[in-house]
Amino acid sequence: MDQIIVGMADCRIAEGAGQVLATFALGSCIGLAIYDPQTKVGGLLHYMLPDSTIDPARGKANPYMFADTGIPLLLEQVFGRGAVKRRLVVRAAGGAQMMDRQNVFEIGKRNYLALRKILWKSGILLHAEAVGGVRSRTVRLDTATGKMWLLEGGEQRELVAGASRPGGN
Amino acid sequence: MAYRVLIVDDSPAMRSFVRRVMELSGFDLSDCFEAGDGAEAMKLLASEWVDAILTDINMPGMDGEEFLRCLSADDLLRSIPAIVISTDATRNRMDRLTTLGARGYVTKPFLPEDLREVLERTLGDPNV
Repeated sequence: MDQIIVGMADCRIAEGAGQVLATFALGSCIGLAIYDPQTKVGGLLHYMLPDSTIDPARGKANPYMFADTGIPLLLEQVFGRGAVKRRLVVRAAGGAQMMDRQNVFEIGKRNYLALRKILWKSGILLHAEAVGGVRSRTVRLDTATGKMWLLEGGEQRELVAGASRPGGN
Repeated sequence: MAYRVLIVDDSPAMRSFVRRVMELSGFDLSDCFEAGDGAEAMKLLASEWVDAILTDINMPGMDGEEFLRCLSADDLLRSIPAIVISTDATRNRMDRLTTLGARGYVTKPFLPEDLREVLERTLGDPNV
């Protein structure tokens, strides 16, 4: 089975059996995984910041760094591979409060709010999430089965669509 | 299945939001009726059949509790699944509304996913 690593400020698309998309060390960053169970097309985005207007040149050079430029591009790519919006299973992880225990910048929270705003504008609802808190997370999306695995605090569990209450923790 | 639904809330913005969440949750709405209070909703139900009702509680005119009482008193209308969307989440209120026939309850403020979960529990998953 091929593991496709999605780095920070990165996005990868995979399709069908034998491929697993993985991203590590999600702190205040957010990992957004989308999957169409019919076409088995999946995408995983690892963005770092909510809004590219703070540095438009960087947003243009690396759109995956920001939620407002990365999420539309992720959607565009999976739709381009045959995924259909109404079938999408959408899950997110990350948005923790890291290296900012005083919560001065609230990057994790702002990343999460940007996610919700952009998905709503795109006409997409979340199916599961593991966000907030103070711990780093790793996620894997298996495009053969659509299962998403979450590693947090040394424990791995499946992030089941519909089983995780949205709203953060 | 295409649904005919009635959304009862005195806020047009909330009615529009609820409708959008239903659509994004995969519910195919063939008709979406709206009413600003219970009296307006009862008037509409005299001429239109719906598959589900989503209602606020605190409204000017006939409030949601009185509206549910009217529904439960009608042999035909009591069979329509009603979901309450309200800021009032006290146990007493929820119990009272359940005895009046409310099948689901969503507390304001809520996330779109909260409403989707109650809709799926009450009406079934539209994507299955």
